[in-house]
Amino acid sequence: MATIAESRNGFAIVVTLVIAMLLMLMPMPESARYFRPEWVVMTLIYWAMALPQRVSIGIGWLSGLLMDAMMGGTLGVMAFSYALAVYLIARFHLQLRQYPLWQQALTIFTVVALVHSVAMLMARPEMHWILWMPVVSSTLMWPIMYAVLRKIRRTFRVS
Amino acid sequence: MMLAILASLVLFFLDSRLDYFKPVRAALSTLVYPVQVTASLPTNFVDWLGDFFQEREELREQIAVLNATTMLQDLRLQKMQALERENMRLKELLGSSFRLQERVQVAELVTVDLDPFSQQVIIDKGKNYGVYVGQPVLDAYGVMGQVAETSSLSSRVVLLTDPSHSIPVQINRNGLRAVVTGRGLGEYLQMDFLPHNADVREGDLLVTSGLGGRFPVGYPVGKVVSVNFPQGKAFADIKVEPAANLSTSRELMLVLPGEKIRTEPLLTQPDAATAETQAAENAASEAASSLPDAEESVDGNNR
Repeated sequence: MATIAESRNGFAIVVTLVIAMLLMLMPMPESARYFRPEWVVMTLIYWAMALPQRVSIGIGWLSGLLMDAMMGGTLGVMAFSYALAVYLIARFHLQLRQYPLWQQALTIFTVVALVHSVAMLMARPEMHWILWMPVVSSTLMWPIMYAVLRKIRRTFRVS
Repeated sequence: MMLAILASLVLFFLDSRLDYFKPVRAALSTLVYPVQVTASLPTNFVDWLGDFFQEREELREQIAVLNATTMLQDLRLQKMQALERENMRLKELLGSSFRLQERVQVAELVTVDLDPFSQQVIIDKGKNYGVYVGQPVLDAYGVMGQVAETSSLSSRVVLLTDPSHSIPVQINRNGLRAVVTGRGLGEYLQMDFLPHNADVREGDLLVTSGLGGRFPVGYPVGKVVSVNFPQGKAFADIKVEPAANLSTSRELMLVLPGEKIRTEPLLTQPDAATAETQAAENAASEAASSLPDAEESVDGNNR
């Protein structure tokens, strides 16, 4: 967390993460419930891509831990998968920035699918196609998410 | 990354294997409770707006309906009390045990969506109200589940539909005992381990059997919706629809402790037995009145 506090306007990162967590918890109609995009993962991915020196694996891990506590799963499952996502994105952030948006979305698809399958492995629910819908909705949401977060980054000059 | 992996592994282990890690978990839950409450605010606000702008006429109609329902229920209750007494007398004659009435405490749901893999809800009462792990949770229509984890301000309730949850039941019609397990994903519950010749029919009401000592006896769990006998399988495939309104109930009831189901047989001396019952009842009401929230007594069902 120290890196965030020292960074310029790092509060924007924290605020977007908290908003993403709120969106994860917000009640949705029963029919839309399984289509909820992975807001927190997407926010983490954006920041890890834009400012890898600021949003480190540790922050991914911490927000995952908070999600674990909120969702009531085994502690450490989401912490692990979020840290994994941040690691992968930070590793390839230079290439990712060059990609066109649709290609980025494909990467998001892969990473979210990975995060999701880690969670699934641990929870071991009965397999059902609808459980994979968050991956698809996250991919579809990515262009909007990207535009919004970039706007935030530029207005608040987060660096 | 190695550090993150290590930390996660250590957490898996601590969280799933060790009991004394519970306080840490509870502290974390307390920490994130404000976020959860914030997430539930929009829904609550919309509900409040709806209440606020309700028409006078509508409210009047509602009051009329409620009054009528109360009257009907009072009427039934009169008969209930007589039946309850009769039942107690008969049980005494048989020399078997009987049940006291259970007391409940009302808790409200914190409207947040949790992990779709597990069927759980958060309620707004925690250790500060004496909620404990394993406490049965009911709604107005039947059993909802049980408390899985408590922190100081909130607790987590596992619903009947959670795949990790099973509840001992019996069929109201013939007293056949069985276990009902959740399937997750808002699907029907499953009645396990009943042979093909078991006497189960569609529409049978399942009530808690009280075996296992966790749930009080006689509360509705669900209704059998389909019975299949798949060829070549050892057990019947029986689907059960939960009686409680798992997805819509906002007010839940926690069954208060201190009035455990009495299992010791009352063989002789009915006088002593009734005196004991009254003493227990008094003690229980005292215990209950010391608890801050609204309490109502719910009828202990008689079998």
